[in-house]
Amino acid sequence: MTALTMPGRPAHDARLRPVPWRRMAWVTWRQHRAALGGVAAFLSAFAVYLWLTGLQMHHAEAAYCHPAGSLGCAINFTGRYGETAIIVSIALQAVPALIGVFAGAPVLARELETGTFRYAWTQGIGRLRWTVGKLVPLAVAVTAVAGAFTVLIAWYNQPWVAAGYVTPFSARVFDLLGVAFGAWTLAAFAIGVLAGMLIRRAVPAIAASLAAYAGLAFATALWLREHYITPLVTHNPNLPGSAWIISHWYTGRNGKPLSQAAISQILQAYHPATNKIGPNTFQTFLNAVGYLTQHGYTFWASYQPGSRFWPFQWIEGGWLLALSVLLIAATVWLVRRRAA
Amino acid sequence: MYSDQHLRVSDAEREAVCGRLAEHFAAGRLDQAEFDDRVGRAMSAKTRADLRGLFADLSETGAPAVPELPRGGGGTPGDGPRGPGSPIEFRLDAASGVPTYLQLVHQVEHALRLGYLTLGDQLPKVRDVVASLAINPNTVLKAYKELETKGLTAGRPGQGTFIQATLGQVALPELAGLHKSLLGWLTTADAAGLDEDGIVALFASALRDFYKRRSGTGERRAARSGEAEGVA
Amino acid sequence: MNVNIIETSGLGKRYGSTWALRECSLAVPAGHVTALVGPNGAGKTTLLNLAVGLAEPTAGTVTVLGGLASGSPAALDGIAFVAQDTPLYKNLSAADMLHLTRNLNRRFDQPYAKARLGELGIPLNRRAGKLSGGQQAQLALTLALARRPRLLVLDEPVAMLDPLARHDFMALVMTAAADDGVSVLLSSHVLAELERVADYLILLSRGRVQVAGEVDDLIASHRVLTGPAAEADRYTERPLVHARRADAQAHLLVRATADDPVPPRWEAHPVGLEELAMAYLREPGAGALPGPACGRDTHPTEVTK
Repeated sequence: MTALTMPGRPAHDARLRPVPWRRMAWVTWRQHRAALGGVAAFLSAFAVYLWLTGLQMHHAEAAYCHPAGSLGCAINFTGRYGETAIIVSIALQAVPALIGVFAGAPVLARELETGTFRYAWTQGIGRLRWTVGKLVPLAVAVTAVAGAFTVLIAWYNQPWVAAGYVTPFSARVFDLLGVAFGAWTLAAFAIGVLAGMLIRRAVPAIAASLAAYAGLAFATALWLREHYITPLVTHNPNLPGSAWIISHWYTGRNGKPLSQAAISQILQAYHPATNKIGPNTFQTFLNAVGYLTQHGYTFWASYQPGSRFWPFQWIEGGWLLALSVLLIAATVWLVRRRAA
Repeated sequence: MYSDQHLRVSDAEREAVCGRLAEHFAAGRLDQAEFDDRVGRAMSAKTRADLRGLFADLSETGAPAVPELPRGGGGTPGDGPRGPGSPIEFRLDAASGVPTYLQLVHQVEHALRLGYLTLGDQLPKVRDVVASLAINPNTVLKAYKELETKGLTAGRPGQGTFIQATLGQVALPELAGLHKSLLGWLTTADAAGLDEDGIVALFASALRDFYKRRSGTGERRAARSGEAEGVA
Repeated sequence: MNVNIIETSGLGKRYGSTWALRECSLAVPAGHVTALVGPNGAGKTTLLNLAVGLAEPTAGTVTVLGGLASGSPAALDGIAFVAQDTPLYKNLSAADMLHLTRNLNRRFDQPYAKARLGELGIPLNRRAGKLSGGQQAQLALTLALARRPRLLVLDEPVAMLDPLARHDFMALVMTAAADDGVSVLLSSHVLAELERVADYLILLSRGRVQVAGEVDDLIASHRVLTGPAAEADRYTERPLVHARRADAQAHLLVRATADDPVPPRWEAHPVGLEELAMAYLREPGAGALPGPACGRDTHPTEVTK
C-alpha cells in the first residue's frame, strides 16, 4: 500500500544558512515596540518636567546665589526649589529600576506564561538566536536612552552643585550622573530578564526584580561604593565641599577611638555662645572639633576627594556592566537548557 | 416529479443538451433539419421545461432527461463553476461502520449503476475529496486503486482517474423475473416466522457464503467491459 | 522514500521523580498521517515536545526527518508545530503574524498563506486575540503550513473547536497532506474521528507505547469473536487482547486475521479502530508493536451483566 510520495523539495542546502539577524530585529521591534514606546513616553514626560523646572532653577541660581550662602539665595533658590529637587532626585532613583525591569522582565516571562514560546522556539531561527536577537538590542536601546537622559539630569542638577548644596558624590545623586545611570538601567534590565526566565510569570518577575534591584542599590549606596578605592584619612575637618566624607571619629590620648556617647558627654560641658543650631551648622561642627582638639582629642575623617568622582563612576559602571553581561548570559544558558 | 419546470437554465445545461441532441442525430433519430432546429431551440431555451420539451419524442435509457449539473468536487453543493470536474461528489457516513474507502468504492459503483457516471467521466480529484470530506488522502488512493483493480477505472498520469468500464446492466425483463422470485422466497420466509432483521441477516450470510464459494476468498465481482468477463 | 519521519529508541523523559514517558521505541514512516492516542497524562504532549525539540530526553534518543537530531536547525526547519491551545501573539494581527513567521524562518510561502486566509475568511487586520477559536486554530495551522514543512505536528488541535471548525481544520491538514506530501503527527484523546483521518496509530498508555503500526495492518490483524461465554476461557488459538462476557455470550478481541479459522459456533467480525484502541486502553498489559508480539499471560476480562 503505497503512501504519498514525498514532493520534490527545492534544492535543500545541506548546510543550512542561519536566519539573518536583521530579520530578528524586526521581530524584536514589532513585539516590543509598545514597551519601548512606553519607556520613551514616560521619559519624555519626565524630561519635559525636568526641562521646565530646570530652567527656573538655573535662572534663580544665577540671579540669587552669587555669592552662595546669601540670604537671597536661601529664600529664592534653596527655599523655593529645595524640596522639589530632593523629591525629584528620589524619584529619579526609581527610573532605572522601572525602565529596566518593565522592559526586561516581560520579554521571556510573557512567552513562558502565555505558552507562545512553543511557537517561538520551534521556528526555523532557533531559540538561541531568537533570545539573543531580543535581549541584546533591547539592552542596548534601554541603556542608550538612559544614557541620554543622564545628560538632562546632570544639567538639572548643576545649580545645586554650583550652590554647594550637593556634591556629585552624595548618595542622592551619584547614581543619577555620569555612566552610573545608564549602567543601573542595564543592570535592572538584566535582573528583570533573568527573573522572567526563572519565575516564568510576568507580574511576579517584575516584583521580584524590583526587590532585587532595590536591595542591590541600597547595598551599593550604603556600603559597597565607599570601598571602591581606599578612602583617604585626614585630621582636617575643613574639607572642600566636593569631597565625600565617609565618616569621622575621635581618638583619645591613648589612641583609642571614642564612642559617640562619650563625645556627647564631653561636649555637654561646652557651652559657647555660638553653640546653638543656627543657619550654619557647619560652623557649629567646627567649633566642637576645635573644643575637643584643645582638650587632647584627635579628630579623624575618612573621605573620598572630589577628584575621584569619575574613577568611581567607571568602577561602578564597570561592575554593573559585568554583572549585566553575566545575568544575560545566564539567561541565555537557561533558555538553551530549559525543557518545555 | 419534475417540479423544477420553471427554473432557468444555464449555458452549461444548454450545451449539454446540444451534446445529447448530437448523439441522437448520430444515431439517426433526427435528420439534419430537425437537429439544427432543435439545437437552435436549445440555445434560446429559457427554462428547464423548454429543454425537456426537446426530448419528448426521443427515448433515453438510463440518463435523466435533464442532465445533472456537473459539479467540481470540493465546493459547497450547488455552488461552483462548471469546469472540467467530476460529475459526482462523495459523501461520508461516519457512523455506518463501513470503512471509509469502501464507502467511496460503493458510491462510485452506485453512481455507475444509476447513470451519474458514464464511460470517460472523471472521478473527483483526490485533493478535492480530501478537502471536502477531511479524510486521509491515502484512503482515497486506496479506494481508487480498488476500483482500478476491479477494472472500473484507469488513472491517467497528470490528469486524474477516469471511468473505463461500466457495471453490467441486467436487462429489464430479467430484473422483473428476479424480483418476482425474490418476493416468492420472502413470502416463504415470512411464513416460517422470520422477521425483517432475521431475513436480512439470513440473506447477508447466504450472500457471503455464495461469493466465498464462487471466488475462493473475498467478494470481488467482475466488471464487464463488453469484451470479456473478468473473474477475480 | 523509506524515511522514518520519527524514530525513537528507548526514549524516556522524567519530570522530577515521575517518568512521563518510558522505553518508547518507534519508527514512524514518512508520508502518513499518524494519530497519537491515549488518555490524559499518558505522555502524548511529552512525546511531541521531545520530537519538536522543546524538551530534552532523560533517556534514549529521538531523531526526526530521517535521522536529524530533534531541535537541531535542520529539524526546526523541516518541522512545524502547533501546540495545544494554538499559541499566537494575541495583540498582533494576522498580517503581523504572517510577517513574523516569515522573518523567523528560512522558507515561507506568503502567497499560499494569504490565499488560505482569504479562503477561510480570516481578516488580515484584526488582532489575533479577537478572532474566534476556530479562526485562531486555522491561522496557526496556516502559518505552520506556509513554512512548507516536511512534518506537521499538532497537539490536540481540535480539542477546543466546534464541529464545523474541526472539520474545516482537518480538511486543511488533509489537503496539505494530499498536495505536498506533508507527514502529519497529531495527538488526540478523541478516538471517534481518527478512523477516517489516520493511517498510522500510536497508542500511549501511562507513559508507554502500547500499540504502534499502520492502521490497515492493525485492523487486518484483529478480529472480534463472538460466541458462548462458557467456551470463552478455553479459547487459546490466538492471543487474546480483551474479553467482554455476560452470562451466555462473550466477545473476544483477538489478534487474528480474516484467514484464521473461527471455532464452530463462533462468529468473527472485523474491528473498527475505535473499538480496537479502547480494548487496548482497557488492558494495559497488552501490546501490539511491530516485531515480536507482546502477548499477555493472563486473561483479565470485563464482565457485563
